[in-house]
Amino acid sequence: MVKVQVDDVIVDVPPGSSALQACEAAGKEIPRFCYHERLSVAGNCRMCLVEVVRAPKPVASCGFPVGEGMIIKTDTEVVRRARRAVMEFLLINHPLDCPICDQGGECDLQDQAFGYGSGRSRYLEEKRAVVDKDLGPLVKTVMTRCIQCTRCVRFSTEIAGTPELGAVSRGESLEITNYVEKALTSELSGNLIDICPVGALTSKPYAFHARPWEMKKTDAIDVMDAVGTNIRLQARGASVMRIMPRVNDAVNEEWLADKGRFSVDGLTRRRLDTPWVRVHGKLTKVSWQDAFVAIAQRLKVVPGNRIGAIAGDLCDTESLYALRLLMESLGSANLDCRQDGAQYDVSNRAFYTFNSTIAGIEEADALLVVGAVPRHEAPVLNARIRKRFLAAGRDKFPIAYVGAPPTDPTYDYDLIGEGPSALADLLDGRHAFADVLAGAKKPMIILGHGALTRPDAQAILAACWALADKVGALTPDWHGFNVLHTAASRVAGLDLGFLPGAGGRTAAGMMSGGVDVLWLLGADEMDMHRIGPETFVIYQGHHGDAGAARADVILPGAAYTEKSGTYVNTEGRVQRSFQAVFPPGDAREDWRILRALSETLGHALPFDTLDALRARMEAEHPVLARLDTAPRFGGAGLAAPAAEGAIGSEPFHPVIADYYETNAVSRASPTMAECSRVYARPALVQAAE
Amino acid sequence: MMAMANLGTRFHTMLKGRLVGRDADGRAYYESRTANRTGGGLKRHERWVIYHPGEDASAVPAEWWPWLHHMQDAPIPESARKGWQLSFKPNMTGTPAAYTPPGSAARGGRRARTTGDYEAWSPDEA
Repeated sequence: MVKVQVDDVIVDVPPGSSALQACEAAGKEIPRFCYHERLSVAGNCRMCLVEVVRAPKPVASCGFPVGEGMIIKTDTEVVRRARRAVMEFLLINHPLDCPICDQGGECDLQDQAFGYGSGRSRYLEEKRAVVDKDLGPLVKTVMTRCIQCTRCVRFSTEIAGTPELGAVSRGESLEITNYVEKALTSELSGNLIDICPVGALTSKPYAFHARPWEMKKTDAIDVMDAVGTNIRLQARGASVMRIMPRVNDAVNEEWLADKGRFSVDGLTRRRLDTPWVRVHGKLTKVSWQDAFVAIAQRLKVVPGNRIGAIAGDLCDTESLYALRLLMESLGSANLDCRQDGAQYDVSNRAFYTFNSTIAGIEEADALLVVGAVPRHEAPVLNARIRKRFLAAGRDKFPIAYVGAPPTDPTYDYDLIGEGPSALADLLDGRHAFADVLAGAKKPMIILGHGALTRPDAQAILAACWALADKVGALTPDWHGFNVLHTAASRVAGLDLGFLPGAGGRTAAGMMSGGVDVLWLLGADEMDMHRIGPETFVIYQGHHGDAGAARADVILPGAAYTEKSGTYVNTEGRVQRSFQAVFPPGDAREDWRILRALSETLGHALPFDTLDALRARMEAEHPVLARLDTAPRFGGAGLAAPAAEGAIGSEPFHPVIADYYETNAVSRASPTMAECSRVYARPALVQAAE
Repeated sequence: MMAMANLGTRFHTMLKGRLVGRDADGRAYYESRTANRTGGGLKRHERWVIYHPGEDASAVPAEWWPWLHHMQDAPIPESARKGWQLSFKPNMTGTPAAYTPPGSAARGGRRARTTGDYEAWSPDEA
């Protein structure tokens, strides 16, 4: 450790720290624009000037390494004058359009001009103006506001791995540009809006909608993928205006994928706000009581084993638990949370979670991805893989894919094979990557749903486990076997045992006439035509999508922003989300609907409050009581998952065809529809033009 | 023409007032014959207006308002009006011609989309 004196405070900082980090450690706030903790140091804004004793002039603290016994002064007249001069230069070409700027109120330049800005301008010459760039449907640019901090260039190059932004020209003519008119292709492009310290990059769909101080902020968990990104919902009045990430180094650092950020306008469209019952083949608006009576009359004549429930991808753990209890009380074992038909081995939690943990990716030194496309299935997790790839250095973090060739995963990779036969090659050691894995200290295997949704999923799972065991990925202090989920509710469903019980039917079995009454809890991503015409379908959910169109009774539930819920991410990390706004119209939180209906059916569920439900759920499933932690554990000494059947030969297919439209919320969002048009189907657009 | 002023004002106008002019609608504007008031640190003439029946102070048109309030020495002549100027209108609050914002119930209650609105799903669109 290096001892540094900052003003009157003496701090110990690790060698190699910058003067700015030493000042932060001493609790001194240093103004900055270009410096960002998670990006490389550029040192071009000069706002972080401090005085170092015996240095001839003020130094930019962000790029100045500390030395033993260094004395830094952060608040002298020299420093203040220097910062005022820098601010004056920055403001020369910055427009005074704060009243019409979307960054107003959360602008670094605005905040720091308050401290270091001069009250009047001495600049009488003409200001420069810069042509706005078209960065696609998500990021709006007002490039005259740009102060050339280059954070966006570094973000897109380093974090997102899509080096599409850069700077051209020099001096006053320097411009940030994407060189050619082309939409940003990153799934993390929304983070550019957050890191831009001024209003040069702002959100296009949110432009001129609200001001930051008008909003009520609520902590929540993103449900668009299974990463469990920590988000902050910003609501004005009765609607969520925008979604921004929260910092959680163990999960998402401070990034949020575009689907989670920009599908917010889907939350006010196609909403189910009243119960519906199908009368003579036509859906009719009814009261809650009438809907309950319709369900009760139908259930009265159906034996328990002819009732089934399928849960969708966005459900909170509480509603899954309530529905499971209700189904059990009705005498049904037909439960399934796997609407995509995936197969797991639930005999051990390690067989279906991301055991290395997301933060653990940074320790791994070899990676095999089987049947997964992390860039589309979990963009934030993919950024972590890229971070490790960059940090490890050339050839120090070899990555291999088994599956369909991914389009630019943002790091170098080897394609071993497109089908499961590549796994056999690795197990036999015929392929050279087997030696790479075996030679690694902490190898990782990520198994995705491209493999788990196949009929031979159990055998592939067992093969991957065997491979992990063989290459030394399962040691007492490292667990290198990982399942990458795509559905936010899946791990919770598996933890709760929302699976077919003894003699119960799977989702496929229920749909093909296996049950007479089918309860869909937000399940939309299935082929509804496969449900038999005689089946009585009850859809409980928040958006009018495939499930609602097929339903005989619709019970309007709450979207994830409208209920307090628990979510378990792919690591098995249990996180709690809070309610930001109320469900629209007559819609209610899902556990309340189930509790109220259970009373009508004469099987009242044993809780009256959400706390009572949680207490009961956590008593039954203690793993769900461990909030916000994903304990690391080794993989040694675990029994292998049971291998059933033989591995097929068909190649793996990606499970996500269109990243921007994977669930009911994103399908209702006009912004996501536009993204889908621009990114996922560019060939069609070009053909039309 | 001083019919609408009360007795005291009529008496005062007869004794002290000097008619300065009338606006386009015929309201009479008077000034005292002597500089009998103090205002703005100066001795100056008192200025007043005789309204039409039922009017309030907002009825004074823009041409006469600065003169009445001692901001200018003379009223603005009608000839100074520009072609793009709207005609003067007094405060309409309390009358049927009062301003109502868009979306007000008095205008039929039809308003543009705002925060908190949502589009409900209906089976017909599916």
